Amino acid sequence: MDASSLPPPTIPIPVELFGVPRLLVGGAAAEADGATLGELAADLAARAPALAGPVLDPATGWPLDGYAFVVDERFTRDPATPLGPGSTVLLVSSVAGG
Amino acid sequence: MILRGVHGRALRIDLATGETDVLPLTGADFAAVVGGAGLASLLLLRHCPPGADPLGPDNPLVFAASPFVGTGITTAAKIALAARSPQTGMIGDSLSSSYLALALKRTGYDALVLTGQARAWSTLVVDSGAVRLEPAADLLGLDPAATSDAVRARLGTGYRVAAIGPAGEHGVVYAAVANDGRLAGRTGTGAVMGSKRLKAVAVRGNTLPRVADPKGLAKAARALGEKSLGPQTAKYRELGTAANVAFFDRMGTLPTRNFQAGSFAGAAAISGETLLLEHRTDRHACAGCTVGCEHRYTTTDGGAATETRLEYETLFALGSLCGVADPNAVLRAAALCDRLGIDAISAGATVAWAMECGERGIDLSPWGGPAPAFGDAAALLETLEAIGHRRGLGDLLAEGTRRASETVGQGSDRWAMHVKGLELPGYDPRKLQTMALGLAVATRGACHNRSSAYEADFSDALDPNAEARARAAAAVAAEDQAALLDSLTVCKFLRHVFVDLPEETAALHRLVTGQETTGDDLRRAGAEITGVKKRFNERMGWTRALDTLPPRLLGEDDGAGPGVAAPAGGSPLTRARLETMVDAYYAARGWGADGRVEESRGRGVEENGVVR
Repeated sequence: MDASSLPPPTIPIPVELFGVPRLLVGGAAAEADGATLGELAADLAARAPALAGPVLDPATGWPLDGYAFVVDERFTRDPATPLGPGSTVLLVSSVAGG
Repeated sequence: MILRGVHGRALRIDLATGETDVLPLTGADFAAVVGGAGLASLLLLRHCPPGADPLGPDNPLVFAASPFVGTGITTAAKIALAARSPQTGMIGDSLSSSYLALALKRTGYDALVLTGQARAWSTLVVDSGAVRLEPAADLLGLDPAATSDAVRARLGTGYRVAAIGPAGEHGVVYAAVANDGRLAGRTGTGAVMGSKRLKAVAVRGNTLPRVADPKGLAKAARALGEKSLGPQTAKYRELGTAANVAFFDRMGTLPTRNFQAGSFAGAAAISGETLLLEHRTDRHACAGCTVGCEHRYTTTDGGAATETRLEYETLFALGSLCGVADPNAVLRAAALCDRLGIDAISAGATVAWAMECGERGIDLSPWGGPAPAFGDAAALLETLEAIGHRRGLGDLLAEGTRRASETVGQGSDRWAMHVKGLELPGYDPRKLQTMALGLAVATRGACHNRSSAYEADFSDALDPNAEARARAAAAVAAEDQAALLDSLTVCKFLRHVFVDLPEETAALHRLVTGQETTGDDLRRAGAEITGVKKRFNERMGWTRALDTLPPRLLGEDDGAGPGVAAPAGGSPLTRARLETMVDAYYAARGWGADGRVEESRGRGVEENGVVR
């Protein structure tokens, strides 16, 4: 395989974790790659296996009921949400408030 | 068709004479307002004369159960209290969980309506419907838990006790009523109880009404209990509401230093995650609850050990709002609020108002000052103690931010953070603009439990610049959902366990009551309950001018602190923007342009003969 056939290098996006996701991972952030939120979710489930099952669907990485992503301070349920180098991504409980 | 699951009667007790009478409750009553908070509000509307002094004998104090209490439906062991609030002058309603609700329903009544004023400090004893007053002067000064222990030791087995602490005795307008380690915290029902010279109410009995389909109900209740252990409640089980601190701080919605900012440098120290690792001792559940959200924590600084429960609202009000980042101090302050028997939100917010007075150079010494300073944990504890006993500056602060600022003047109402006299909970409306509307119009004042409109803001349901009509629809839906849950007395922490709350709870309602209840019936009930509360407020002098927010939150600030930015992609909250949303809310409710219930669902309740 020559260098031109390799996928372009990506910069991991830090995913900030809150609540149960933070407890499961044992840290305030995890890293994952993806040009879209759906891709990032799948990569996150692979890189942070503690989340796969209780928080993320093990097959798709998408959050289970009770959890959500926040991208650039906005909640989103759209896996096609584009991500860039400056994106901020949070994984939180979707059960906001008291 | 016979209505099962309820007794169909309330007991009115005149505390001055000891006389009692039975108030029939009809199927139409329960169909209109369900039970719990709806029933308590309806009984208040019927029995509180317009203009009644909130701390006078005419103001009834209502305790009400629901059809679901005592049925085995998870989380439903809750009791609703209602009275005209001494804090707001509007409806005061509050819920509390656990064994008291079960014991009250076993008395053979669905509700108690307490009127008049006892001649001396007393414990009201309701023993299967037999009523008596016992002397309680020797209990004065005790905290609610000690009072409950003493009353139960005195009366014997089977009693459950609601009690007030020193704050209720002294008429602190945000005093609470406590039971089983829980508090009916908001709107000052504890002060109303104290005004009746009731230190405690003890109830027991052995009469639960039959349910319509015991086997079907047991199966459905078991299924709901199993569902309640899913990911929708994991936050509450694993961390409790304390989990909000870190996330709200990150989103800039954590009220800090009396709403001068939306993030707090000390947030990490008082976050749920830190508390779990460094302070948590164990976890408890209320009676009949499968979730178990009550996390208990202990101090770790080597000082006098204090163990207490803690919620997000307590953390924000006694922590970030007062600029206090020491978790041990916040734990001690929370425990102190429980011992005094005061609402921690209003207590923290009133202390924060005083802190800002000091910061701005306003001399509070004429009222027993000096003002405490932001971040001064020792001063926070001293001030709370003073409030609970109305000592020194505490006497002023025991009146809450609205009255305290009216007394002090000097423009201090600009940083009195309340709606209708009820201090704001820990959600910054500048970021959460659907919640801004919910807080402005809520019948009991600024309250997250009567309007969870923040859920629309914490979701992708609404664009940051959503039009007023969309926000109004979301606020109405949130308010009606809360009214329904509070009236079924199902815990709000279950709300996401249901896919279709009205339909699924209607199924449970049919099994309990034997009525052909539909989801639409319960949807209508949610709106009607809000209408009943609103009608009460109108009788007590409500005007549209009360449906607003403090100037600071509307961009009419005076430069204190860094402020809070608009939500990402959205516009700042202004008075004009809020007014447009309030207009849309009244229209969505079907109320007049002046916000009155005329031609509304609430009027419909009256036309059905329910409001007498």
